[in-house]
Order: sequence, then structure tokens, then C-alpha cells
Amino acid sequence: MKSQRKLGILAFTMIFGVAGCASSLPPQDLVTARTAYDRASKGPAGQLDPADLHLAKEQLDAAEAAFQADGDTQNTRDQAYLAARKAELAEVTARTVLAKKTQAGVVDAMHADQSQAVADTAAELGRTKNQLSAQNVAYVAQGVALKDAQARAAQAAADLAKFATVKQEPRGMVITLSGSVLFTSAKSDLSPGAQLKLNDVANALTREDPVSKMVVEGHTDSQGSASSNQDLSQRRAQSVRDYLVTRGIASDRISAQGFGATRSVADNASAEGRANNRRVEIVVQAPPAAGAP
Amino acid sequence: MNKAILSLITAAPIVWGACAATVPPPVQRMADAESAQRSARELGANNEPSAQLSLKLADEQIAEARAAMKAGENQRAEGLLIRAKADAELAIAKAREKNAQVAGKDAVTDAAAQKATNVGQGAM
Repeated sequence: MKSQRKLGILAFTMIFGVAGCASSLPPQDLVTARTAYDRASKGPAGQLDPADLHLAKEQLDAAEAAFQADGDTQNTRDQAYLAARKAELAEVTARTVLAKKTQAGVVDAMHADQSQAVADTAAELGRTKNQLSAQNVAYVAQGVALKDAQARAAQAAADLAKFATVKQEPRGMVITLSGSVLFTSAKSDLSPGAQLKLNDVANALTREDPVSKMVVEGHTDSQGSASSNQDLSQRRAQSVRDYLVTRGIASDRISAQGFGATRSVADNASAEGRANNRRVEIVVQAPPAAGAP
Repeated sequence: MNKAILSLITAAPIVWGACAATVPPPVQRMADAESAQRSARELGANNEPSAQLSLKLADEQIAEARAAMKAGENQRAEGLLIRAKADAELAIAKAREKNAQVAGKDAVTDAAAQKATNVGQGAM
């Protein structure tokens, strides 16, 4: 009986001794699993791969439970081995997620860069296009202005040609009015018909060319003395000039000068030639170059 | 009484052994472990040292398990296959990490090249 009790105590001690030994000395696999889980739980896995980290935790709990229940058995070691691998898997997966996020960020940034580049180019093109169309408008306006000026000048010449001879000469546009139309013989007073003609001249000059300076030149034939011819030509030129001023041509634009018979344009021997020499010329000087279109 | 205890102690391992013998061959676990092993290999685990190490562990344990099954040690084979599958899955994860890192580096290179092109074309 005594020996039986001794044996019972021995068996008891053996069982609990082994269990105690087992709980104080966990297998290497379990130690590794604890460390692996500890490391994983402190890393990015908690944020980036909580599902795998949770599985690792469950596996570690299972290994701990097996160790508590059975001690250092093969099953405990297998469970611990799995727990260590699952913890590492959570870590690796978290790093993978991080790498993919970084990549996505880089790709997004690249796409944003591309979009920006496209937008910049489009904006640049838009600006260039606007500049070009503004230039185009300016060119068209210039062209219109030029055509306008040319048309006005042509119109002025055409209007004048209806009632007088108009010639373009180096000194300017020369409007020649016949003396026999303007004046009665040896007089410097304008005839009524001459006034009507000069009205048209004045209108054309003020309407079509309001800036050019002009000179009214009087000319006679060679009959009579040179001094009387000079005097007559001067007075005739002056009357035409004065009349034009009354018709609205600024007085500072227009002057008068007599030339007598000194600038004949035809033979004074014939009546027709003398008639051509008796004349008044209005010389419209070409506008200054800066004002030309 | 002593005899009874003694016979109990000697009988126990035999009973356990009998139990072990009744464990069926872990065919499904073998298939799972081999499947993970193949996946790891296809994902390029052999190109990444860390993944290669995990895959090698899986390879060895699968081979060991096969031998154990042949010897009728199905219990031991099962444990080895559980470990092998865990190692193969870890190899898969490591190979994926490597692939993600390579893709990330490629993206950085691409982005730099793209930016250089944009600048070269005077867009930015």
C-alpha cells in the first residue's frame, strides 16, 4: 500500500513535472512564431494587411493553446511553424501593397504630368492662334484702309476728270481748267458757269482729299504785253483761289500764283493753241510720305 | 498492481502506434502543397533569393513527406505537408513582392522618361 502511494506520487510528479517543464521551455518553433508575430504586428501589416495579420494571430493562439494543453508535441511545433510563416506572410503582403501603392502614385503623377503637358500645349496653341487671328485682323484692316485710300484717290480723280483735264505729274495731280470757260476775255471775274464747275472741284477736293496742299496757277497766251499777262494771270489765279476758299477749302492749304505766258502748253500761233494756253491749273501736291497708306 | 501500471505504460505507445497507422495518406494535403509549390515557381520565386529559400524548404518537405507516406508514416507526412504548404505560400508572397517592386521601379523610370519627353517637346 505504501509502495502504491509512492508510485502514485511518482506518476503524479512525472506527469506534472513534464507539463511544468513543457510550459517553462517552449519549443523553438513557438519562440520563433512569437517573435515573428510580434515583429509583424508592429510593422505596416496592421494597416495594410490586417486580414493576414489576424490569421497569423489566430494561428499563434492555436499554437499557444496546443502548447498549454499538450506541451512540446509535434502538433504544437507544426502549429507554431504555421504561425511563424503566416506572420511573415502578412509582413511580405503588406510590403507588396505598399510597393503597389507607391507605383500607383508614380503612375498617377505621370498621368497628371502628361495631362498638364497636353493642357499647356493646348493653351500655348490657343494663345498662338489668338495672336495669329489678331494679326490677321490687323492685316485685313490695313488692307481695307489701303484699298479705301486708293479708292478715294481714284474717285477724286474720276470726279475731276468729268469737268476738267486731270493729269498725274511729278509735282502732283494737275487739274487743268480752260480759261475760256472760267473767264470772259481779259477779265479776272469768274463767269457763272465757271462757278458751277469750281463748286464741283471744291467738293471733290474737300471730300476726297482733305489734307493735301494746292497751288492755283494762272496762265495766259502770248498776246498782249508780258506785264499785263502776268498781272492778268495772277488776278485770275487769285480769284479762283479765293472762290475755292469760300467753298470750304482751308485757306492755309491753297495759294495762288500767276505765270503770264511763260508756261505755254501749245502753239500761240493758232487760235486753238492760244485757247489751250489760256488756262488755270490747280496743282494738288502729293500728300507727305508718312501720311500715305 | 505494479504489473498493471507497467503493462499500461508499455501498451500506450502500441495503442498510439495503432492509432497512427489508421491515419489515411494525406493525399489532399499533398495536392495542396504541390499546387502552392507550382504557383510559387511560376511567379518566379526562383529569381528572388528570399522566395527561393522558402520554395526550397517547401520542396524538401514535400519530398520528405512523399518518402514518409511510402513508409506508411502518414501522420508525419501530414505535418510535413502542412509546413510545406505554408512555406510555398510564403514563397508566392515573396515573389509577388519582388514583382511589385520591379513594376514600381519600371514606373519610376517610365515617369522620368515621360517627363523628359514632355520637357523636350517644350510642353512644360
